[in-house]
Amino acid sequence: MVNGVLRVWVLLLIPLLGSCGKGDWQLSEARENVVMIEVTAQTWDYRLPWNPGTVSSSRGAGFVIDGNRILTNAHVVSGARYLTVQREADPRKYPAKVLHVAHDCDLALVQVEDSEFLKGTTVLPIGEIPELESVVSVYGFPIGGDRLSVTRGVVSRIDYNSYTHSGRESHLAIQIDAAINPGNSGGPVMQADKVVGVAFQGFRGDVAQNVGYMIPTPVIRRFLKDVEDGHYDHYVDIAIRWMPLENPAMRQYYHRPNDGLGVVVTDIFSEGSADGVLQKGDVLLSIDGHSIESDGSVRLDGQPVQLEEIVERKFAGDTVDLEVWRNQALEKRKITLRPAEMFSMYENLYEEPPRYVLYGGLVFQPLTANLMAVLVGSADLRLRQTYTLFGQDQIYRETPEPVILSSVLPDRSNVYLVGLAGQVVREINGRRVRTLADVLPALEAGGDRTVIRFEGDQRPAVLKKAEADQVMPRIMTQYGISEAHRTDLGGRRLAKGSWKKEGEGK
Amino acid sequence: MRMLWAWIFVWVSLVSVGVGEDDSRGSLVRVRASIQAYDQFRPWQKKSPFGLNGTGVVLPGGKVLATAALVANRTEVGLEKPGSAEKCAAEVEAIDYEANLALLQPTDRNFLKGFSGVLLGPALRAGDKTEVWQLERNGEMLRNQAEILSAGVGRYPSDEAGFLVYGVRVSLPKRDDSYTLPLMKDGQLAGMMMGYDRDSQEGTAIPVPMIEHFLKDAADGKYEGFPTLGVSWSPLRDPNLREEVLAPKAGGGLLLTRVNPRGTAGRAGLREGDVLLSVDGYKLDEDGNYRDPLYGPTAVGNLIRTKPTVGSPARFRISRNGKEMELSGSYDRKARDEVAIPTLQFDIAPKYLVVGGLVFQELTGTYLQEWGEKWSERAPQRLVELFTFQHEKRPNPERKVVFLSQVLPSPITLGYLQLSGLVLEKLNGREIANLTELAKAVDDVKTGDLVFEFRDEPGKLILQAQDLPSVSEKIGKDYGLPALRRL
Repeated sequence: MVNGVLRVWVLLLIPLLGSCGKGDWQLSEARENVVMIEVTAQTWDYRLPWNPGTVSSSRGAGFVIDGNRILTNAHVVSGARYLTVQREADPRKYPAKVLHVAHDCDLALVQVEDSEFLKGTTVLPIGEIPELESVVSVYGFPIGGDRLSVTRGVVSRIDYNSYTHSGRESHLAIQIDAAINPGNSGGPVMQADKVVGVAFQGFRGDVAQNVGYMIPTPVIRRFLKDVEDGHYDHYVDIAIRWMPLENPAMRQYYHRPNDGLGVVVTDIFSEGSADGVLQKGDVLLSIDGHSIESDGSVRLDGQPVQLEEIVERKFAGDTVDLEVWRNQALEKRKITLRPAEMFSMYENLYEEPPRYVLYGGLVFQPLTANLMAVLVGSADLRLRQTYTLFGQDQIYRETPEPVILSSVLPDRSNVYLVGLAGQVVREINGRRVRTLADVLPALEAGGDRTVIRFEGDQRPAVLKKAEADQVMPRIMTQYGISEAHRTDLGGRRLAKGSWKKEGEGK
Repeated sequence: MRMLWAWIFVWVSLVSVGVGEDDSRGSLVRVRASIQAYDQFRPWQKKSPFGLNGTGVVLPGGKVLATAALVANRTEVGLEKPGSAEKCAAEVEAIDYEANLALLQPTDRNFLKGFSGVLLGPALRAGDKTEVWQLERNGEMLRNQAEILSAGVGRYPSDEAGFLVYGVRVSLPKRDDSYTLPLMKDGQLAGMMMGYDRDSQEGTAIPVPMIEHFLKDAADGKYEGFPTLGVSWSPLRDPNLREEVLAPKAGGGLLLTRVNPRGTAGRAGLREGDVLLSVDGYKLDEDGNYRDPLYGPTAVGNLIRTKPTVGSPARFRISRNGKEMELSGSYDRKARDEVAIPTLQFDIAPKYLVVGGLVFQELTGTYLQEWGEKWSERAPQRLVELFTFQHEKRPNPERKVVFLSQVLPSPITLGYLQLSGLVLEKLNGREIANLTELAKAVDDVKTGDLVFEFRDEPGKLILQAQDLPSVSEKIGKDYGLPALRRL
């Protein structure tokens, strides 16, 4: 689920006092409002997508905010089947439910129904971005004991960083040097008497020390605003790539004076917010009135941040105004923002069950980050490159959701097909397979035999339809599979793609 | 595709049998190679040199047979007589990195006078007793008893293709000059040892049929190499698949899943989807084996590569949509040699071109290997894709892959420094098919913009042509580059 160097921990923390002298007061405040969240969660097994998955328990932190809600990390409550919260000041464990979970920014809201629970709690107010070098306190229930822990450090860095829980998102994050350890996740980071962040990830001890990250308040506020309508939408994305305009020859080529401003648009993703509005070679000079420096930064509240930060704080349907230098003329462009579904393949999935189609022992699954995580050791180059280049090469335009023959459940009827596991499906019975939804109808098509063709120079898989249907009960019994397929997207949206659809005119 | 170096022998001290006898004199010679490979990441320089010591086999006529791995990327090759320290330089007369064989010629033609030389022996089969010979310091011969465990098609160190290979069981003591050793049978050459694992005490050897083919090819002074078919294929045992491709009911044949139109099969008219039933009269079974008179069922690769030579006629029997037919052509190795991205680049200096700090190279398999064992994960993914799927992505062998490999900081590359692994498509709107074309296109522009267009982000990079002369000189000096281009 998490890869590479940056391993996100489940952290539980509570903010403590920032400036000196107020520590005792703040601690008592925290005692009232910081909660330990104990979660029993289930994780889907993408190797055996029909199984309900493995059950595990973990512990994190959270804190009471307005509206009888508890704010914590999404990764604390991901896949939760049962969760309880407990305050330092009250030994009872209260069952709770998840109200909203936002995997892209690793935040979630939890609620306890028993009104007893709230007695004696107050509401922790949400503050602003703390100053560099100012002192913050972290509250939570990290490893090393069972009671509330407080650590203290300074704000080390305010920058964009990846949010590893989602696997693909980057947002503003604040690095602090207070000790943050597994169990701190979801706990508040406090300064004076205000929450300035939620502790959420750190490095493994063998990689870096005294580096912890918290989710800053602009991200928290955005999340709270987003769920006001009772539903969490995804972050929006401008879906372009740009390059700093630092090189003098390049500035001259684009006819820009040496004023240190502007970046060049190098790619616009089809179906993204900027599709049809911006062009390759456009020079972006300002965004919502903020001048864009040639390194792509803008000043926000006096701090230099990447220009995406302007977009970050907005919601689907909001607009950004751009000043664009195109063909040696200044143009004003407005972009209506929307989520970037075409990159959703790179997002770790938590709640929704894995989708699959079983046919004669052949298991078809859509290519997802979760599937890649279990196949990565054995994946051949074709599969790995389909995954790696899916966004960059806009493969989604042709194939919004590549379908993989993820495994072949051995049965006497498919002994010659076992070696084909891991191949990328191109067509079934002459029909192009662009999403998992294409698989079942395509299997119905054709004559007595089903012919499955793969990308590259692989042999096709051929099955007799009658036999494939006939062996299904046997295979399902032997492998303990109750459903032959699960294809419902459950509200998740894929890229639409831009191939020429049947029935459409030229 | 593993480096040859991975096969450097590791020797164990263990019992061996036999002592030097007279008939072994005049058959072996020590080969000392000094090796220095080009640095693919800094193509203007070479890596640290090192030496390899092996044992060569003196052939009648005074030439010496060794493995190609022993002399790959050599700066100098020398021969030394076993019983004395008398030395002589040698030239490589023919070398085949796929087959891992090299033929050396002493510069002093009289150096090996008095050496009787070794004759090629018969091909061996599994179970045959044989010997691996080593030279003692004093020139005496150490004969280690060995047994052939297997004879079949397997991978060679270059990992380019399957060739006939012997599996050999033998206990080899640690001795000098063991990088290459002869496998002997009754005083005749049976093969060349090319790999040994001291734990299992098993090794691999290049068998005599391969050596015969190599020597025959080299005899006219023009070495051509082993033929290839230029196809990918799949076994045809699956009855459902047989029915689908209308394979003959009688059985046999393999399914062609890709046919290179330039290769032996493609030019003879074979196509993807054909069922190949026989080659040169040898029937193929469903697993892609023919029945070899000596070895029994053997992979078709050996039939194509070891029996014919480049230019000899090829006969195929195929079934296409259920209809059987005969096709004929002639063997060649164009499918392997005429490619956009060559693989084996030993002894070949990498091409490069430095333009104001932008370093361009032509993609080769050797460059990708420089990224190490996990090159396919670590190297820029676009380059890996083009190389691995070049039959789809770059079918035209004339269109090389020119790419920006790195950027040397210079006054005019400000803002470009982090870029690498970018495939170049055009310069000032002109398609670039190789590095020489790029150099010419750059030289043609004296003033104004040089617009480099790449396959991927950031798409375009710009330099000013008039800046180049002064900057290039400075880069050459600052970075100590001996030259700014090698084309």
